Amino acid sequence: MRAVTKRWLFLKISSLILIPLMLWFIINFVSFYDKNYEEIVKFLTSQPSKFFVSLFLVFAYFFSALSISEVFEDYIDDEKIKNVAINTLNIVAIFIPLITIIIIFNLGL
Amino acid sequence: MENNNPLSPHLQIYKWHISSLVSIVTRITGIINILATTLICMWFASLLLGESNYEITNLFLQSFFGKFIAVGITWSFSFQMLSEIRHLIMDLGYGFEIKTTNITGIVVIIFSFILTILIYLLGRQFIL
Repeated sequence: MRAVTKRWLFLKISSLILIPLMLWFIINFVSFYDKNYEEIVKFLTSQPSKFFVSLFLVFAYFFSALSISEVFEDYIDDEKIKNVAINTLNIVAIFIPLITIIIIFNLGL
Repeated sequence: MENNNPLSPHLQIYKWHISSLVSIVTRITGIINILATTLICMWFASLLLGESNYEITNLFLQSFFGKFIAVGITWSFSFQMLSEIRHLIMDLGYGFEIKTTNITGIVVIIFSFILTILIYLLGRQFIL
């Protein structure tokens, strides 16, 4: 399978998984964004929200990295700059959700 | 050899259509969503600082501006979800006729606002 086909498939599969996760997350975000500290920590440290928030973050960044790299390929002409931009994007897309998930799993301790 | 071909898409040359508008807004909301998700990650990280340091964030989120941002993020997520569903349907081979793409494009735009209201009412427990 060609690399571009594989990337397209990953984009579509992650999109399919992300849609219900986005809906779940945004409904919950609207319900807790202005709540006090204890209620937000309680939401993030209890199951299944801890699991679904983590899953949402992984797929949101994975999907965004794939789709934003497409934008970079469309708009950045210089190959070197394009590669640096895509690699930076991939690193950010791994580290931000990873660190946030570690934080969420340490919140209740 | 220098490549002098213009980059795609040429926004200043294209004649605007509903489908191009939806495509551009999908890209913009995609970037807004990931920036918003990053801010949400930072917000979650700030919880580690403890309850006493959370007061300012809480006051901001309870303000009119905080509510405006919450509604804005909800619309951006709604638009992205509906647009992705439209894309997935098109990937299955449906809705490529010009008339159909225009209709589905308008549906995405109008329903993004309706879905925003529904999500907000559902989240604030005004319904169900």
